[in-house]
This record gives sequence, structure tokens and C-alpha cells, in this order.
Amino acid sequence: MLEMEQYTCTNCPMGCPLQLTHEGENILEVFDYQCNRGLKYAKQEFSDPRRSLSTTVAISHARWARLPVKVSAPIPKDRVIEAAREIHQLQIESPVKRGQVLMSNFLGEKDIEVVALRSMERIS
Amino acid sequence: MLGRMEGKYDVVVIGGGPAGMGAALGARDSGSERVLILDREPDPGGILLQCIHSGFGLHYFKEELTGPEYAERFLENVIDQEVDLLSNSYVSGISYDSSGSKGVHVMNEKYGLSTVETKSVVLSMGCRERTRGAIRIPGTRPSGIITAGLAQKFVNMKGVLPGKRVAILGSGDIGLIMARRLVLEGCEVVGVFEIMPYSNGLTRNVVQCLEDFEIPLHLSTTVAYIHGKDRVEKITVAPVDEKLKPDMNRAWDIPCDTLLLSIGLIPENELSQSLGIKLDLLTGGPQVNSTLETSMPGVFTCGNVLHVHDLVDFVTRESLLAGQFAGEWAQGVRRPNDNIRLLPGNNVHYCVPHSLSPEREHTIYMRCQKPMKPCRLHIGDLKQKKLRFVVPAEMIMVKVKPELLEKFRGDTLRIDILPAEEKTD
Amino acid sequence: MYDVAIIGGGVIGGSIARELSRFQLDTVLLEACAEVGFGTTKTNSGIIHPGHHSSPDTLKGQLVVRGNQLYDSLHQELNFGFRRIGEIVVAQSREDLPILEQLKKQGEEKGVPGLEMWDKARLQREEPNLSHTLLAALYAPSAGVINPYEFVFALLENAIANGVVLKVNSPVTKIEKREKILLLQTPGETLSARFVLNCAGVFSDKISQLVGLEDFTIHPRKGEEYMLDKRLKGLVRRLVFPVPKASTKGTLIIPTFDGTIMVGPTAEDTEDRYDASTTYEGSDRVFQFVNKICPSITERDTITEFAGLRAVSSTNDFIIGPTRVPGFINVAGIQSPGLTSAPAIAEYVRDILIEEGLLLEEKESFNPFVASPPRFAMLGLEKQRELIEKNSLFAKVACRCELVTEAEIHDAIDHGARTLDGIKFRSRAGMGRCQGGFCSIRCMDILAERLNQSFTDLSKRGSNSWIVTEMVNEQHPKMREG
Ligand SMILES: Cc1cc2nc3c(=O)[nH]c(=O)nc-3n(C[C@H](O)[C@H](O)[C@H](O)COP(=O)(O)OP(=O)(O)OC[C@H]3O[C@@H](n4cnc5c(N)ncnc54)[C@H](O)[C@@H]3O)c2cc1C
Ligand SMILES: Cc1cc2nc3c(=O)[nH]c(=O)nc-3n(C[C@H](O)[C@H](O)[C@H](O)COP(=O)(O)OP(=O)(O)OC[C@H]3O[C@@H](n4cnc5c(N)ncnc54)[C@H](O)[C@@H]3O)c2cc1C
Ligand code: SF4
Repeated sequence: MLEMEQYTCTNCPMGCPLQLTHEGENILEVFDYQCNRGLKYAKQEFSDPRRSLSTTVAISHARWARLPVKVSAPIPKDRVIEAAREIHQLQIESPVKRGQVLMSNFLGEKDIEVVALRSMERIS
Repeated sequence: MLGRMEGKYDVVVIGGGPAGMGAALGARDSGSERVLILDREPDPGGILLQCIHSGFGLHYFKEELTGPEYAERFLENVIDQEVDLLSNSYVSGISYDSSGSKGVHVMNEKYGLSTVETKSVVLSMGCRERTRGAIRIPGTRPSGIITAGLAQKFVNMKGVLPGKRVAILGSGDIGLIMARRLVLEGCEVVGVFEIMPYSNGLTRNVVQCLEDFEIPLHLSTTVAYIHGKDRVEKITVAPVDEKLKPDMNRAWDIPCDTLLLSIGLIPENELSQSLGIKLDLLTGGPQVNSTLETSMPGVFTCGNVLHVHDLVDFVTRESLLAGQFAGEWAQGVRRPNDNIRLLPGNNVHYCVPHSLSPEREHTIYMRCQKPMKPCRLHIGDLKQKKLRFVVPAEMIMVKVKPELLEKFRGDTLRIDILPAEEKTD
Repeated sequence: MYDVAIIGGGVIGGSIARELSRFQLDTVLLEACAEVGFGTTKTNSGIIHPGHHSSPDTLKGQLVVRGNQLYDSLHQELNFGFRRIGEIVVAQSREDLPILEQLKKQGEEKGVPGLEMWDKARLQREEPNLSHTLLAALYAPSAGVINPYEFVFALLENAIANGVVLKVNSPVTKIEKREKILLLQTPGETLSARFVLNCAGVFSDKISQLVGLEDFTIHPRKGEEYMLDKRLKGLVRRLVFPVPKASTKGTLIIPTFDGTIMVGPTAEDTEDRYDASTTYEGSDRVFQFVNKICPSITERDTITEFAGLRAVSSTNDFIIGPTRVPGFINVAGIQSPGLTSAPAIAEYVRDILIEEGLLLEEKESFNPFVASPPRFAMLGLEKQRELIEKNSLFAKVACRCELVTEAEIHDAIDHGARTLDGIKFRSRAGMGRCQGGFCSIRCMDILAERLNQSFTDLSKRGSNSWIVTEMVNEQHPKMREG
């Protein structure tokens, strides 16, 4: 049976409304995208929706109480909350450099890391 | 940090957010040697430091970065270019002498109250958030009503939450982004209420920050009353009529302990006003000519203090230009006055800059008044551009080539956004 | 045991405390809130009335003129924001003209100085931004404006310096009569005193009920006020009153001490003694009215709004005096012009205490002065430099809208601020356009450090007015299925 899904492309501020038709797991066609990233997005949303995630972790001896961090690549959408909770367990000691890896092999995915978004000096 | 502040400068940039840093780079590019950035915060980067979500830099760095990453990478460029930078420094005023030289008054714990001499100035102080007073919500005045940006700083930098059960008024981007942040931090977000029939935030934020987490977005709805003695206890929300007046017969109550306001940003123009610079009532920022110079000769401006941007890449592009012109001005370059005034027409809320010159290529930034699709942007009779849709939340940018402007006879160029079917006469 | 216990730290309790601190007495002031002055005293029009509006047949009508006169010396001693800017009562129609004459006569009989009738031309010259349809005005030069919270802070600071004990967070919940004393209970302790002064504002009938007196009740009358953007500074130079009507003095245009224009108040009876809400109806009424007198003021200029409760008593007059319960003295029903009358009320109560047998002996050590808080923003560059040289915290800006420095935040805390509102009303940090958006975190940093508390312990104005709460990561929010 032919079914249709609707998505809003979030790849760029245009936010194109996309339509995807499929039969079971099988994608038939994607409509209304303005560029190829939209096409890719609709397919990805259908088969393996992912989200990027940034949050903060506790840091001691730094100017601010929290250090912003991100997951280096998009993670499965249904694991975002779980991921945030896991990251929140971290307790970082200053100083930190931007890009410093704080967790690797994140969520059991090789290549996915949790990295610091900024440098913070040590302040006693 | 990085601080010197000696002698006379070519360009002093006030505010070290992306606009200020971009302007400093632009000024160095133009060949100005002595460039100083003053910022009141401990770290340069401005608002970006608290915007930990990604979505910055796609145009400029060709990479999707978060706010802090964008800021730090930009800062590295600035340091490379030997720009002087003084943080924890609040600019309290600017004085002006007849020779055109300017004195920037800076307050800094270490240096006291000093005056920095400079040839030109770039204003890049960013913006501030509109508060409850600006929209006048009736009810009590308990603790727990705060702007979304302040909440963002509390959560992302101070590590505390503004409350546990949160309602959000206004669907600006900061509010949407905070909805997701708060959910990830374990709060309950009871809903986002928007008085207009459309969201004021980017679509992607509506999708990723609300829909993903099943947070309801109530359009054409507003908070009509705030209850609570010491702390917010509940709010009354109501749908609005065409005149945006709440219909209290259809109102309902929602218990919550916090109300976040995401109801818009206003350019931070205390300083500009004290200088007597002419402001544009529509943008809330200074009026500028095509070199982004204000009504005060040698004072340039860019970024959110000029008009509120939603994309930092546009801020960067605009500020590189402002810095370039400020640097040239410091080196004695004086360009002829612009001779084409821009006039916002149909469905155009404002445009920046306010005038053009046929001498160069220009980028015009503008916002529409209401959503429209599909439509056509008319630059007088000179140029038309098809747009799939326009919404007030997203800034429109259009380039105009000098060849086009040379053909123009007249002094006022009107810009219209019209439904695609319609034709101008 | 205390000689005198004052219940309520508003302008009335504060004025009395300061007056009594001249004498060799043990005085305590008990205030329910986290700081003094957080009741009606913080939420009013801040006008020191000349006194010609109220009839000389009432107690309030008698005390107001004396109160007004006492402000000059108080201002010199206590250094709060106060200025005599004068007021005009404007006639909008022909019917108003005889009322102006009547007011003038009443004022002159009561000794209100300098009353002057202005014709249309004079009015337009003096206040060119008022409506040109106004016919005439009655000018009273002795009217003043005040920052009432600064006044009550200074009163208490001076009273404390001269020996009065202040206990905040101390609501009186029970009063017991013993032979020659009264026992007062607060959540923390029980105190005893020979005399108890009931200055509890809108709660004064409840306090009087605690000793079994039922002879009056308080019927709060709410007034909403709207503060306008500072862009409008200077639009109107004097207080502008319409011709008075039965229940209030009407809606006013008030150039506050700081120059910002405020409009209000409304007058609405309410049963709720905590009702500090503003309403659509209230603002409509205020702006419709004000717009007729000053056409360039619109609702859109509002930057903040608030409401206060007048403690209107069942007699519609001040109720000041001893009661059937020996030692228990009412200073109740202090509605408008209570702020103006406060210094006169303090003298009046002092005399009652003497009559009731309290021996007052002047203290030689009494020091009437309070230094004025530093106000960086008001100074010229040179003076600012001097301050910074002495204390580099003057170079750190905490509030950008009002240009308040960190040194001033510390000063506010030194002088008793314990909450964000306490800091705001002492230093002005958070009063400007951004309403705390910028300075809240800075003020909280300093407050937390000085009080050795964490952010989550701090409050806007005490009790349950917490500002932020702890981060917890244990919750399990839900995410929509894909
Ligand atoms: C919450 C939020 C989310 C956003 N999300 C995105 C996004 O996803 N993608 C994107 O591309 N863009 C986003 N933007 C837009 C973009 O980041 C901003 O438009 C941009 O950061 C504005 O830069 P600015 O330099 O003009 O202002 P700011 O970053 O505000 O910098 C101004 C600086 O000036 C300083 N200053 C002000 N007054 C003085 C003074 N008197 N003396 C000294 N210093 C002073 C301030 O401290 C500050 O550091 C977002 C903006 C916000 C607010
Ligand atoms: C809108 C409005 C405008 C006004 N404008 C003016 C004006 O322009 N000029 C003028 O002269 N007057 C004006 N007034 C009147 C004036 O504000 C009041 O008369 C005056 O502030 C009353 O002071 P108070 O100390 O009696 O009351 P409050 O300031 O209310 O003080 C009473 C205190 O008692 C405390 N308290 C209550 N119960 C207890 C308890 N059980 N135990 C311990 N403490 C307790 C409260 O917390 C409070 O701090 C106005 C009033 C309003 C409402
Ligand atoms: S389809 Fe292309 S243009 Fe449209 S939103 Fe996606 S990325 Fe942007």
C-alpha cells in the first residue's frame, strides 16, 4: 500500500516542507525539496532519523559552572534523552581546550564522541 | 586577557560579539594598523557563548558549528590579525571633537575610567530582550517571569534552572531553543504561546525543539494573566481575535512556576542615543548609509545593534564590510554621499542600509511584515527576484549590482514584496 | 523586655522607630517580610502632598500639612531621593473652575504655602506638553516627589544606628496580654514589650484582632501605576492632578524623583490583601484619562507597571491612638496621604506614648544623619574617576540601563539588602529598560558571595520568591516517536 510521510527539512533556514511516499520500508519518491540535501534528509528521516545534541556538563575551577559540549555526529533521535542523561553524569576539571574529547565510543557508536565546545582556563 | 590600550587607534570597535570581531577583521583588511575591540564581558563572543546549539557558520566557515565554537574560531582569526582586545571593559560614552577625532570612555577595573582616542568607531553592542513591560501582561508580579535569554545564561553557563514547570510566551528562536534545553535538563515545558498566527522562529527550531518533544505550540494565543503571590503559580492563556485582543471567554488556566518571555529583541542603543545618532524607528537601530556609517561621521555600525539578525553568518558578512569602511575612513578615504534612498514598500518592514550609491555592489537586508508565498521581490523597476516564501522570522538578503543602479534615474528606490501573480505597474 | 515593639516596617513603622530612637528606650521593630518597606510603602505614587486636597476635619487632613513641612529637614538628615517639584491641579471644563477656587481657599486656611492660580496662557507656557484644551490650573509649589523605599531604608538604617532592633522575616502571629506587658509571638521567638504599636498596613485590623479588638476593619483599595520609558523624561515637569473626585485624587501624571514619568493610580476595592495585580481595565482607564490631559503619552510607552493597596479603614480616616487593651496602640488605616503624613504621625504617636505614661529621655548620642549612597551615574567624569581611584569596583558595571556599578551593589548589601528587590530599590540595578535581564546574574553573583549562599538560596523578595532551582538529571522526559 502506498503511504505518505511529511517532514520539514531542517538542513537550512529555508525549512522546505517535504513529502515522501513509500510502500512499507521501500521509499518510492520524495517531493518538494529545493536541493539535494532535502532529498537526503527525507530519506534519512524515514529510515534512520538522527539529531545533533549539545548540552552542558559540570566543570570545576572555571569561570562558569558549566562547560558546553556536543556530540560529534548526529545520534538516533530516540536516544537523545538517554544520551543527554549520560553526558550529564560527567564532571570535568579545568582547564579544557575546545575540541577536547570528553567521551569516546559514545552510545556504543565508534567514531561518535562528546567534545568540548570552548576552552576554559583554570581559575582557582 | 589580551589587553593593551595605548596611544591612538585607527578604529575602536565597541562590543566583541561576532559583529565586533568581524568589524575588527574588516578594519585590518582595509589596511588599518591599530584596531581595538572593547567588550564588557570577561570573554569575547557576545551572545554566541550561551547559544550552545548548532546552526552557526554554515556560510562563513562552511561547517555547522555551535555558538561557542564559532566565537572561539573567530577569535583565533582576530588574534592572528593582531587586533588589540580588552575585555571586562564597559564603554560608557563617546566624545567628539571638531577635528573628527573621537574619545571612547572605557571603564575597566584595572585601568579605571580612561579615554581611548580613535579616528573611527564601530558600534557593535548587540541587542537586548524585550521584557514583560513592553507587552504589558496583566496580573501579579511574582518571581519566575524571565526572558528566555537570561534563562539560557542561567542554564548553560550558571548551571541552574529557572524553574521546573515552564510556559513560554513568544515563539522567537531563543524561546524555542530554550524549550528543548529545559526538557533535556529535566523540566516540563507546558507549551509555547504565540500571539501571531505563525511562529516567529525558524522552522527548523519549531521541528527540532518543539515537535520532537511533543511540546504544544499554540498560535494566535497569548498569556492574558499571571497569577501567584511570591512565585508564579499559574497563567491564564487565551486565544486572540484579529485585533490581537485576548478572548477571555475561551481562556484557560495552566499551572506552572515559570514564564519565559521570548518576545523579541531590540538593538542596544543607549550609547548610540547618547551620541545623538539618528535611529530608524522600524529597526530600532541607527540609520546608515551604504558604508554602514551612521549619521555621525566616522561612526559605523553592524550586527544586532544595527538590526536584529537571525543568522550569525549575515552578521559576519555585514560587519566585515562595516570594519572595512571604518578602516578606510580612518585612513582618510571619504566617499561621495549616497544618492539613492531606499523606501520600504509593500510587505517590507524595513531595509538596511537606508541608502545606496551606484558606485559599488550592495547587499540589502530586509524583513517582511507578514508571511507570503510564493512572492516576488521588486527593487523598484530595476530587478525582480522570485522567492518561494517569506516569513518575518527570516531575514531576506538581496544583492544589487552597480550596473543596475547606474541605470536608475531618481532619488528614491522603493522595495516591495508582492504575491507572485501580481505585477507592479 | 522592650519598652516598645513596633509591628510593621513600612514608612509608618519606620518613621516611628526613627523618632523613638532619639530617646533612651529599648525599641524593636518586627517586620513580616525579608526586608523593610516591601509593603504599600514600596508601591505608591511617591508624592509629598501639599495638603490642600484633604479636609481639615479629618485626622489625615490635619497631619498631612505638618508632614509635608517636616520633609526638608528629614531630607537633609537622611539623604533619600526627594525634591519639591510642585504640583498643578488642572481644570478640564468650566465646572472644574469653582472647585479650583475652593481648593485654593481650603489650602490657604490650612496653611499650604504659595498657592497660585494659573490661567491658560501661563499653564501652556509652564507645561507646553499638556493638552491645550485645559482651561486653568492651581499651582502648589510645596508638592514634592520622593523615592519612598529609599526613605524607609534610610529611616530604618538611622533607627538601627541609634539603637533600635530590627527583626525581619518576623510576622507577628499571636499577641498575649499579661499584667503590664504584651507578649508577641513570631515564628522564631516570643518577645515582650510594654507598648505595642500596630503599624501593619493592610493587615492592621488583623493585628488588632489578635488582642481581641474588633472595632475597625480594613478594606484594601488597589491602585495601579504605570512607569513610562525614560525617553519621555522632561515631558511634564510638575505633578499633574485632575480636579479631585469623591474616592481618590484621580489619575495623575507623576514625574518621579528620578525623572521618569509614571501615570496612575487607579482606585479599585479588593478583598484580597495580597492583590498586587494590574489589569487590562486598569491600564485602559489610566491611559484613556491621561491621554486627555497629555496627548503624547500612550500605553505603548509603558516599561513596567505595579499595584499597591491602600489600607482604607472602615472610618475612612487614620485610626491612631490607644485602645481598650493597655499598651496596645493602633496606627492603622494609614491610607493616602500616609507617606506624606508619616513624619507627623511619628510625632503624634510619640506624644501619645508620653500621655500613656512612657518616659522619654533624649539620648545625647543620637545621630540624625545617614550618608547618601554613592550614585555613580549621576556624577561627572572627574568625580567618577575619583571614585574609581578609591575603589576599583566602581569601574565594574553591574546594571547597564541605569549605569550602576558593582561598588554600589556592595553598598546596597552593606546597608541591608538581602534580596534582588532589596538591591534594586537601593541601587536602581534592574529598574531600567531591560528590567534585570543584564544585571540579575551580576547582582546574584555578588549577593551569593556576600551572604555565602548559593544561587538557589537567593530570592526576589523573600519567602517563596525563589529565582532559580537546582539542576537535576534524574527525570525521564519523553521524546516523540519518529
Ligand atoms: C538565542 C539566540 C540564538 C541564535 N541562534 C542562531 C543560530 O542558530 N544560527 C545563527 O547563525 N545565528 C543565531 N543567532 C543570531 C546571531 O548569533 C546573533 O545575531 C549574533 O550573535 C549577533 O552578534 P552581535 O555581535 O551583533 O551581538 P552580540 O553577540 O550580542 O555581541 C555584542 C557584544 O557587545 C558587548 N557590549 C554591548 N554594549 C557594550 C558596551 N557599552 N561596552 C562594551 N561592550 C559592550 C556585549 O557584551 C557583547 O559581547 C542567535 C541569536 C540568539 C540571541
Ligand atoms: C497606589 C497608591 C498610591 C499612593 N500614593 C501616595 C502618595 O503619593 N502620597 C502619599 O502620601 N501616600 C500615598 N499612598 C499611601 C501610602 O503609600 C501609605 O499610606 C503608606 O505607605 C502606608 O505605610 P504603612 O507603613 O502603614 O504600610 P506598609 O508599607 O504596608 O507597611 C506595613 C508593614 O507591616 C508588615 N506586616 C503586616 N503584617 C505583619 C505582621 N503580622 N507582623 C509583622 N509585620 C507585618 C508588612 O509586611 C508591611 O511591611 C499611596 C498608596 C497607594 C496604594
Ligand atoms: S531542501 Fe535544501 S533548501 Fe530546502 S530546507 Fe532542505 S537544505 Fe534547505
